[in-house]
Amino acid sequence: MIDTIIHIIVPIALFIFIATFALFAVYAERKIAGFVQDRLGPMETGRYGALQTIADILKLLQKEHINPTNTDSILFKAAPILIFVAVFTGFAMMPWAQDFLPANTHSGLFFIMAVISIDAIGILMAGWGSNNKYSLLGSMRAIAQMVSYEIPVGLSLIAAVMISQTLNLNEIALMQGIHATETIKFLGFWEVNQVGGIFAWHIFQAPHLLVVYLIFFIASLAECNRAPFDIPEAESELVGGYNTEYGGIHFAFLFLSEYAMMFLVSMLGVVLFLGAWNTPLPNIGALRLADWTTGLAWGIFWTLAKSMTIVAIQIWIRWTLPRFRADQLMNLCWKVLTPIAFLCIAISAIWRIFVMV
Amino acid sequence: MELFLFYAFAVLAIGSALLLVSLRNTARSLFLFFITLFGMAGLFLFAFADFVAITQIMVYVGGVLILMIFAFMLSNKELLQDLQHGKNSLMAFTRWQAVFVSVGFLVVLTYALWQWDSEGLPLWMQQNIQDGNIIQATDNNIPQLGIKFMTEYVLAFEVISIFLLMALIGASHIARKEPEND
Repeated sequence: MIDTIIHIIVPIALFIFIATFALFAVYAERKIAGFVQDRLGPMETGRYGALQTIADILKLLQKEHINPTNTDSILFKAAPILIFVAVFTGFAMMPWAQDFLPANTHSGLFFIMAVISIDAIGILMAGWGSNNKYSLLGSMRAIAQMVSYEIPVGLSLIAAVMISQTLNLNEIALMQGIHATETIKFLGFWEVNQVGGIFAWHIFQAPHLLVVYLIFFIASLAECNRAPFDIPEAESELVGGYNTEYGGIHFAFLFLSEYAMMFLVSMLGVVLFLGAWNTPLPNIGALRLADWTTGLAWGIFWTLAKSMTIVAIQIWIRWTLPRFRADQLMNLCWKVLTPIAFLCIAISAIWRIFVMV
Repeated sequence: MELFLFYAFAVLAIGSALLLVSLRNTARSLFLFFITLFGMAGLFLFAFADFVAITQIMVYVGGVLILMIFAFMLSNKELLQDLQHGKNSLMAFTRWQAVFVSVGFLVVLTYALWQWDSEGLPLWMQQNIQDGNIIQATDNNIPQLGIKFMTEYVLAFEVISIFLLMALIGASHIARKEPEND
């Protein structure tokens, strides 16, 4: 009975968190955009415009449900739900703190990869169901991009998993801090099981993982259709991409899943490369900083803080870089990221066999 | 609860498959195929084959189904109409294929069912239970899968990978633009 209640409460809590996160991420997006472009951003609603996004979502929720005549009504209505559910399911595997995660399975990472591909189907469904050329073009671009960039994402994840030797996200996170059950070494020569902190993170355990993380970060930007890879939603060419025809709560869900996806990939990167819930502060002699800042509440705090930082970097990039052209996008994916990712897999194998022993 | 989930997934898979073949709207039936695959993946989970279930979603939904939808979008309208209102005679080639495949599956299924005699489990299952050669829900069977692939089934694995590589090279050859010589 208790189990059933927990199984119901956890998704609700996650949903509330994602919804709140999306609201404030939109606010942050507009404020950072304002900062980058040397203007103020929203200032009128609430102090410093803090209530602006809440006003926006209230407006969206009240809007009329518009269902254009020539749409394929089933696909049109099902698509936002499918996209959101796909992204939301991915959070089932994400660890927030040590042994504090909705589902502790041996195939967590693989599951998230599968979930990301369901997201692509939802986008195609939205584009086809809308029966609008801009929507269809937008979704075709989105799929071409997502399917291509799934390869560097997958390869970079493999390179990281070869170091950690497990697909269980909880164990992957465990291997990057003072609670690690195996010997972990900073750059392969300095044992840091007692020191912990930033030195125990995956990107410092094997230096090439820094490159792998960069590949993962770039490819994950493309996976969630963020600028500079936002040709699926290019406003100036495609009106609004696959969400052109959507309004009201449907659009709210599409928007929510976009921000949820941003958070999901940021968190995945944090768990795999940046130490997950582990503290960045190392133990220095008698100054047991790592011991003091490890625990349930600290774990959640570090996960959140690191993921939010990555989301902030995503937003910063969006407002700094211009959009890629479709062919440049494919060139980057197939001729730069994929070969480097393959090289990194080879280095991972060598590192695992000869350095980590 | 688990029994209920099992039957829910089974109904989902079979129901959507039946609906899929009876729908006239090709686009909808392609998207319905996703539900069938999803239901099948759910059934794999009940066999403790979580790796297979996730691979099914990833390969079929993320790759094959998207390719099918793209092929559907790129094919011309007359061809599709031909498909949608095609010949319905009993002698049509597609029907014979379908009959052949379904009879084959029926034979396999009856053979499997036939092994479940009145005493219960088939012999090979009883043997495995006696030897303790079973997996639990909490077991991590991904490493075992990898080891099996690289030892016992290495030939099949390599043949498949070479086959896929051939397909990849062929696809890129077809898609390549010939240099203009004039």
